[in-house]
Amino acid sequence: MKNIIIGQYIPGSGFLYKLDPRTKIISVIVLMVAVFLLKSIVQLSIAMGLAILILIAGKISIIRIFRGLKPIFVLLIFTFVFQIFFNKEGALWVDETMTIGFVSITSMVLWTIIWRMLAKFKKFKMILFILYIGGLYLIMKYITYGTIFTTWQFLVYEKGVEMSFFVVIRLLIIITLSTVLTLTTKPTDLTQGIEKLMRPLKVIGISSEDFALIISISLRYIPTILDEANKIMLAQASRGADFAEGKLKDKIKQIISLLVPMFIIAFKRSEDLADAMESRNFVPGRERTRIHDLKLGRLDLLTGLATVLLLAGSILVRIYL
Amino acid sequence: MGYLDIEHLYFQYSSKRMILKDINLSINQGEWIAILGHNGSGKSTLAKLIVGLLQPKEGRITVDGVDLLPENVYDIRKKIGIVFQNPDNQFVGVTVRDDIAFGMENLQVSKDDMLKKIDFYATKVGMQNFLDKEPSQLSGGQKQRIAIAGILAMQTDIIIFDEATSMLDPGSRAELMEYIKELHQEGLTIIMITHDIEEALYADKLVILKSGEIYQQGDIPTLLKHPEWFKEAYLELPTAIQIYYDLKQAGHDNQELEEYLWAFSSSK
Amino acid sequence: MGIQFKQVNFSYTGMQKGYYEAIKDISLSIESKNEFITLVGQTGSGKSTLAQHMNALVFPTSGTLEIFGKKVTSKRDRHIKYNDIRQKVGLVFQFPEYQLFEETVEKDIMFGPLNFHKTEEEAKVLAKKALQMVGLNDNYLNRNPFNLSGGEKKRVSIAGILALDPEVLVLDEPTSGLDPKGKRQLMDLFKSIQEETGKSIIVITHDMDLVYEYAKRVLVLDKGNLVFDGSPEVLFRMNDLSKFHLDYPQTIRVLKGINERFNLSIDIYQKTVHDATAAIKRGLNS
Repeated sequence: MKNIIIGQYIPGSGFLYKLDPRTKIISVIVLMVAVFLLKSIVQLSIAMGLAILILIAGKISIIRIFRGLKPIFVLLIFTFVFQIFFNKEGALWVDETMTIGFVSITSMVLWTIIWRMLAKFKKFKMILFILYIGGLYLIMKYITYGTIFTTWQFLVYEKGVEMSFFVVIRLLIIITLSTVLTLTTKPTDLTQGIEKLMRPLKVIGISSEDFALIISISLRYIPTILDEANKIMLAQASRGADFAEGKLKDKIKQIISLLVPMFIIAFKRSEDLADAMESRNFVPGRERTRIHDLKLGRLDLLTGLATVLLLAGSILVRIYL
Repeated sequence: MGYLDIEHLYFQYSSKRMILKDINLSINQGEWIAILGHNGSGKSTLAKLIVGLLQPKEGRITVDGVDLLPENVYDIRKKIGIVFQNPDNQFVGVTVRDDIAFGMENLQVSKDDMLKKIDFYATKVGMQNFLDKEPSQLSGGQKQRIAIAGILAMQTDIIIFDEATSMLDPGSRAELMEYIKELHQEGLTIIMITHDIEEALYADKLVILKSGEIYQQGDIPTLLKHPEWFKEAYLELPTAIQIYYDLKQAGHDNQELEEYLWAFSSSK
Repeated sequence: MGIQFKQVNFSYTGMQKGYYEAIKDISLSIESKNEFITLVGQTGSGKSTLAQHMNALVFPTSGTLEIFGKKVTSKRDRHIKYNDIRQKVGLVFQFPEYQLFEETVEKDIMFGPLNFHKTEEEAKVLAKKALQMVGLNDNYLNRNPFNLSGGEKKRVSIAGILALDPEVLVLDEPTSGLDPKGKRQLMDLFKSIQEETGKSIIVITHDMDLVYEYAKRVLVLDKGNLVFDGSPEVLFRMNDLSKFHLDYPQTIRVLKGINERFNLSIDIYQKTVHDATAAIKRGLNS
């Protein structure tokens, strides 16, 4: 728990690292808008190609991005399956009769058991999952002997396939873009960038400096708080509050036994922190200089220009194609 | 008149018993004073009053001839820095560099100047190779050294150490004391708040707090001549001095040995 | 019975630092009765990790651990109720703030016994008894634990574990942050609990004076290795403790200094100021 590093930032040397965080934040937002303007799978594929080009130009390993996708893998699969099954527009592409019978159910159960047994090879999780789904399909299609309970039609329409790819690729591009941002920008620079971009909000009474400071202090204390939560959990487990073995009835009390110390320590910490900041002459709202001074360079100009061109391109595509 | 003067200072939290009673203290520039007291004697409260984090109920504090008031606390804090007990709760920056910069940012030091000072003072506390590290990668002792660097960079005249070593292991504690010793030799005024007599022995002058009052103050050899004062204030004497008194009580008189035992404790 | 470590290793896999071995190849046996052990070593030497193994809060990465007849290995065994181990071996964490959460001291101490299926009445009796053991009177039962002083909070947190009536009591740096008087009072308390109940007590500390004066047995950890297991008398007679990053107790340092300065041969291995004085007198007379 001690080694949690804030954010996803990984040091590197590509041009993306040299950009001002403001340029990156705005470009990412603009490019996301541009992606949403695109209508067809061909257009999106070109956009995906461009995104990959950005990765290559920025010397970012595609495997890293791929790893970043892991947490939302389930969402991607779900989106894909949902579109395939429920979108019934366009020409009928696949029409298969699927059989559910005694033998096929037995086979499916066996197949599931084999899949679960292989689950310990965590590295191949995704491949195994795809193999598993494919296996289920083949079983239902070809194992037609024995007692048959029922059959159903597996129908796939043109639009369904198209839409499923469309949505998934769009999601992929958006995730790639935002991962590029967090991978190449230090959390401090990111907050600094957000602070500068929010400066106009001062007109409606929101202080962007305070906001940025709140974010950076939260970032700084997340690892500490996680570490502490772990220790509190162990301390209460020592008093028999076993979060793994306890009954549901005791769970509520156990959660309280975790939350109360966490809050009390957090209050104490915020008092200490306020004292420490104040004693180092921090006065809310007072002008401060910053160690992370942001400067826009030629690279930022070029990037901005490229972004605007891409946006213009997708607007034109939207209107004329 | 010293550089820092405290006169008839009283403090209490609303409706509770008096935490500090009639504190009078005068500290000269370049001095190292230790404020020694048992748990709950009010020593940390005194530290917070000196840096204006709390307001006295009565009495006054002057720094360099200027009264400490809410209006000028900002200017007073340019002269006094404080390192607190818990290393984790005073590390504001996301990285070491940011944390050292924090005070300077508040003082509106220019960026170039900041970068120079960060390098200089990080080197001073032996942390020049850690500038990009995050607090979760540092030990307690390292965090305290960063806190010192942050204050040094603000170029204060006084640093208060409010039990700054109490959460460290003996190794880091000794290391930190060496750094503090060096700073004192360079002319910094040190106020060390502690319950550890061994640590207090580094000082030129000792103030013993007992239940919110200054029980005794003076130079260390003088105070050590009265073991009963320490006992009264729920404190312990250094082991060598304890042995000295024990020998004396047993009627043993050996001038040389006594001198040795005496020197053993004050050789810091 | 008691606790047996057999070649126990424990490693973390941190996100940036990668692989990190907290304790390495620890073999060790702790009796269920009459031990008074201090566990020492510099910060990061693995003391807390070792302590957390003793009541199965963490599981070894490799090796076996036997706690009151129950085997603990890297794999969770569904037939073992690990929670029961925590009743046999009580572990008190360094900061009482990690465990105090109820609105009265009594309720807070009752939390443990209730988790182990004691009735409300039984838990009340246990709470009262545990509070007495840590030297606080019944007036404290209805007080709010958050309004107590640091030393009192510490005692209440210890009572919270003592109320489980464990056979072995493990305390992670109980004396840190206390003034010298408070430290000694707490160590005296552990000593009296040990003598009165026969429970085995293990105290993690940095204070060599306390180790020398109180411990019957010392375990020294250095970078995750158990480098010493024996009596404090033997430990402090070793020539170069700095290799373990440890200091000598004050009495030994003072007496050693006297011997060197005055060319005497006083027996320097004295635990208390009183013994040291007596030794000096003997040394001067002969």
